[in-house]
Amino acid sequence: MTAVNHWNTAQHLLLVILGFFVAFAPRYIPIKIFTQRKIPEWFNEWMKFIPVSLFTALVVKDVFVSPTYQFDVIHHVPEIIASVIVGLVAYFTRSMALSVVVGLVSVFLLAVVL
Amino acid sequence: MIKQVPNPNEPKWRSTLSVAMPLNLSYIPIGLACGVLLHAAGFNTILTGLVSIFIFSGGAQFMIASMLTINAPLLSIVLMLFFLELRYALLGSSLSKYLIGTSERFKLIFAVSMNDENYAVNYLKFATDKKWTPREALMVEHYSLLFWTVSNIIGSLVGSALKIDLTVVHFALTALFLYMIIMQVKNRLTIFIGLIAAVLAVFFLVLTKSTLGLVISTLISSFIGFALEHYLRNKKPGSHLLYKVSSPGSKEAAVEEESDEN
Repeated sequence: MTAVNHWNTAQHLLLVILGFFVAFAPRYIPIKIFTQRKIPEWFNEWMKFIPVSLFTALVVKDVFVSPTYQFDVIHHVPEIIASVIVGLVAYFTRSMALSVVVGLVSVFLLAVVL
Repeated sequence: MIKQVPNPNEPKWRSTLSVAMPLNLSYIPIGLACGVLLHAAGFNTILTGLVSIFIFSGGAQFMIASMLTINAPLLSIVLMLFFLELRYALLGSSLSKYLIGTSERFKLIFAVSMNDENYAVNYLKFATDKKWTPREALMVEHYSLLFWTVSNIIGSLVGSALKIDLTVVHFALTALFLYMIIMQVKNRLTIFIGLIAAVLAVFFLVLTKSTLGLVISTLISSFIGFALEHYLRNKKPGSHLLYKVSSPGSKEAAVEEESDEN
C-alpha cells in the first residue's frame, strides 16, 4: 500500500459517475431491447448456452490466467485442486453454501500447505 | 441452494433472503477486502459506498483500486471499465425472456443492480423454479447489493488495519461460479461446451490481455453450443452428446428448458 494516488474527491466522484454509465449501458440496453420485441426462437436457443460459457470463462480466468493475462498453472496449484474439490461437492450435495465454504477452506489450507 | 422446504406461508422477504444468503455471505470477506483496497487507493468512505451501489461489481471495483494506485489516467480507467462491464450485455440478453411483461421502471431498476453473481443465482432460480418471479429476483439483487455495500464501507473504515489474503477470499466467487457450472450441466453437450469455453477463454484472455476475452469467448462458445445442438437434434438425434447427465444428491433436476421435449 505504498502507492499513493493524487486524485482529489471531485475526480474520484467523476470516475464513479462515468463508471456508472459504462456499467449501466450494457446492463440495461439488451434487457430493454429483448423484452420489447418478439425474440426469435434461435436467439433463446443461443442464449441458453450463455451461462455455462460465461461461468466457465470466469472460473478459467481465476484459476488458469494470471493478473497480467498469462496462462499460468504453476502458481495456481491450490486453486486448481480446490476447484476439483468444489466441483465434487457441488455435484454430490447441490448446495451453493456448502460449495463456497468448502472451496474457501480448502484453498486456504492448500495455500498454507503447498 | 440450501434444502428448501416450500412453505407457502413463508413471507417473500424471508424466502428470497434464504436464496440470496450463500451469495451474501461470500460477499462479506470480498467486500471487506475491496473496501480496504479502495481506501488504500484514496477513495473516501462515502465514495466507496457510492461506487458499491452504482457500479456494484467486484471486478470493476478491484480494477479501479489497482489502476488508481498506478495513477492511470481517468479516460483509460473508464475505457477499461467499459470493456470489463461489456459482459453484462450477455447477462441481460439471457435473462430478458424471464423479464417480459415487467414495467419500464422495473427493467431500469433491475438492470442497475444486476451483476455476475446475482445473475447466476437468479438464472438458476428462473430455470428451475417455475414460480420464481422478477420481483423476487430483484429482491435477491438488493440483498446482495446491501451486503456488498455494507462490507465495502466497513472495509473502508477499518482500512489497512485489516489484512485480507485477496487470492483466498476471491476464491469464494470462483467456487460460486463453479457451483453454477455444475448446476447448468444437463447433458453431455453442456460439458463439451464447457470445455470449449475453457480453452477459448484462455486463448482470448491471453490474446486480448483484457477481460474483453471473456466476452468474445462466451459469445463464440455459446454460439458453437447453439449450432451444435441444432445440428445434432436435426441430423443425429441419437448422438451420445445429447445423453442426459443424471445428478445425485437431490431430486431437484438440473436446469431444464421447455424446449427439451421433442
